[in-house]
Amino acid sequence: MHSYRICGLSVLSEVELPGIASAPVDDTDWEVTVRLGAVPQELAAAQATGPTYQIAGDLFLLRIRGIARFLLKGGRELTVQTEDATPLEDIAIFIIGTVFGILLHQRGQIVLHASAVRVNGKAVLFCGPSGAGKSTMAAALERQRFAFVIDDLCAVVLRDGSAPMVLPDGRQLKLWSQAIENLDMADKRRAPVRKSLEKYYVEPEKAFGEPLPLGAVYVLRQARPAHPPGVAQPNVVDSALLLRRNAYRPLLVNRMGQKADYFKAAAAIANSAGIFHLTRAADFAGIPDVISTLRAHWTKIGLLEGVEA
Amino acid sequence: MTRTIWLASYPKSGNTWFRMLVANLSARDGTPVDINALPERSGIASARGPFDYLTLVDSGLLTHEEVDCLRPRVYEALANGAADDEYDMPETAPAVRFVKVHDAYTLTRTGEPLLAGARGADGAIVIVRDPRDVAPSLANHLGTDMDGAVRFMGNCDSAFCGVLKAQYYQLRQGLRGWSGHVASWLDQADIPVHLIRYEDLHADTAAAFGRALAFAKFPASPDAIARAAALANFDQLRAQERQKGFGEAPRPNVRFFRRGEAGAWRDELTAKQVARIEADHGATMRRLGYELSIRPMPAEAEEVA
Repeated sequence: MHSYRICGLSVLSEVELPGIASAPVDDTDWEVTVRLGAVPQELAAAQATGPTYQIAGDLFLLRIRGIARFLLKGGRELTVQTEDATPLEDIAIFIIGTVFGILLHQRGQIVLHASAVRVNGKAVLFCGPSGAGKSTMAAALERQRFAFVIDDLCAVVLRDGSAPMVLPDGRQLKLWSQAIENLDMADKRRAPVRKSLEKYYVEPEKAFGEPLPLGAVYVLRQARPAHPPGVAQPNVVDSALLLRRNAYRPLLVNRMGQKADYFKAAAAIANSAGIFHLTRAADFAGIPDVISTLRAHWTKIGLLEGVEA
Repeated sequence: MTRTIWLASYPKSGNTWFRMLVANLSARDGTPVDINALPERSGIASARGPFDYLTLVDSGLLTHEEVDCLRPRVYEALANGAADDEYDMPETAPAVRFVKVHDAYTLTRTGEPLLAGARGADGAIVIVRDPRDVAPSLANHLGTDMDGAVRFMGNCDSAFCGVLKAQYYQLRQGLRGWSGHVASWLDQADIPVHLIRYEDLHADTAAAFGRALAFAKFPASPDAIARAAALANFDQLRAQERQKGFGEAPRPNVRFFRRGEAGAWRDELTAKQVARIEADHGATMRRLGYELSIRPMPAEAEEVA
C-alpha cells in the first residue's frame, strides 16, 4: 500500500503513483482509497452518458477504451481495472490527473486546470486547456527561482473571511521533450508519463506540501490579431465565465450542478487576488519577455510588496 | 435538429474561403464579416478543445492512435447536439453546422470511420483544387521550399500535427497524400458527397456556392448568396488580412490568403516540379478534369482508358 496527500486529501492506494511524492500520511481515516478490482463496462440506470463516461447516483464510470476503466464512488473510493493488459505504470498519470480531477468535482470542490508557482508567499496560477503552456510557464518561472507549487490540476479552498487557498501536493511537473530541451532541464527529467509518449515527469527543485494563499490567476491565451500580447483584466461577468471555462473539467461543472459554486469562487478570487488574461506568443523565444511582463504586473498589483527588486 | 456537413478538403484548397462565404451570409449592412470573428473551437474537426471537453481526457496524454479510436465518439456526440464548450449556446440552433476537416476519410485501428460515418455527419462538401496550385500555397503554409511541398503532397504517410515531442494545437490529421486524400473522400460510401472544384468556385462563386448550400439544405436566398459571394471575394479577404492580420495564419508575418488564383502554377512551378506532380497525381487529376500539361506515357493512358 502507498500513501499520498493529493490536493489536500489523504489517499491510500494499492497503485503506486509516480509523479506524486509519497507522503507518510498519519491517518487511519483515509479520505480517498484507490484499489484494483473489477469495474463494470457500463452502469445500470445511468442518468448521464458521454463518449467516455456514465454517471449514476454517486457512481462515476470513466472508460478509456483499451487502456483502463475507473469507477469513482462518492468522491471517496476509486476502483481501477486495466484493459488490454495495459501496465499499471502506464495509467498512473490518468489517476493523478483526470480521475482525481473528476473526484474533486464529485466532492463539490473548486478545481482549476492550472499550474502554479510561489511568488512572495502566494500561489500564482496559470490556467488554460491542455497544450496552452501551463507547465512550461511554471517551469520557466521555476528557473527564475519562483518555487514550483503544482502542475495541471489545482484545488482551491474558499473559507469565509480569508483569502482563497491553494493545496499543493508535491507532484512533479510534466513536460514534453521539446520543452525540456528548450528550458535546458534535461538533468531534471525523470520517467516518461506513459511509455509511448515523449512527455516526461520533471523533478522540481523543491516540493511543497503547505497550503498557500492565492495571489493571482492568469488565463493563458495565444497572441492573435484580435488579442495583442499583455495582461488584461476582464470584467466581473467575463471573469466568472473564464473561471468556469478553466475548471479542471468544465463539462462536470454543469453535470454536477457546480455553476453557482464556481460563480462564487470567481467573485472571491477576483476580489482577493484577481483574474487576468495573459496573452503572449506561445513560443520559447518569447518567454523572457513574458516573465518581464509578469514581474511588472506583480509589482503593479502589490504581489511583490516587501521584496527588494 | 441541426444537420452536420463536413467541409472536407486537402489543405490550401479553398476550405477557409468557403467558411468565409458561409459567414458572410449573415453579414449586416453590406459590411464584410471580420475574418477574425469566425468561431475558433468547433471550426475544425481536429480541434483539441471539443475532444478534451467531451471525453474528460487530455488528448495530450494519448497516442495519436488512441485519440483516433475516441474521435468517432466525439463526432457522434457533437452531431447529436452536444455542447463543446462552456459558452452559452445560441437560443435557436442553426439549420446546418459546417465543420472544416482536413483529415482524409480513414478508418481507425478498430475498423470504424474516424469521422463516425453517417452518425457523425449528414454529408460532405468536398472541395478540390488543382494540385499544381495547391503546391505553392502549401509551401508558403508549411514554410518549406516548393520541392518539399511537392514531396509532402506525394507522401501517403504525411500528416498535419503528427509530431511526437510536443503537443500541437490540433489533433493529428492523416492526409494520405493529395491523391489519397481526394480518393478517400470520393470513394467512401458512408455519407453523400457534393464535389466542388476550387476553379469553379473561382469562376462563378455565387453559382458554385449556391449549389453547395442546396446540397447541405442550408436555407439562403439567391440575393443573400450573391451578397456573400461579393463580400467574401478573395481580394476582400486578402485586404482584411493585410490590414489586421488573420488568426489562422500559419506563422507571424506569413500570409494565409496568398494569391487565390486558378492556374497561377504556370509562373510558380518549374517544369520538373510540374512533371513530378503530374506523375504522382495524374490519374486523380484526370478524374477531376484537370488537364495535364505533359502527355501521359502510352502505357499509362491505356491503363486509365
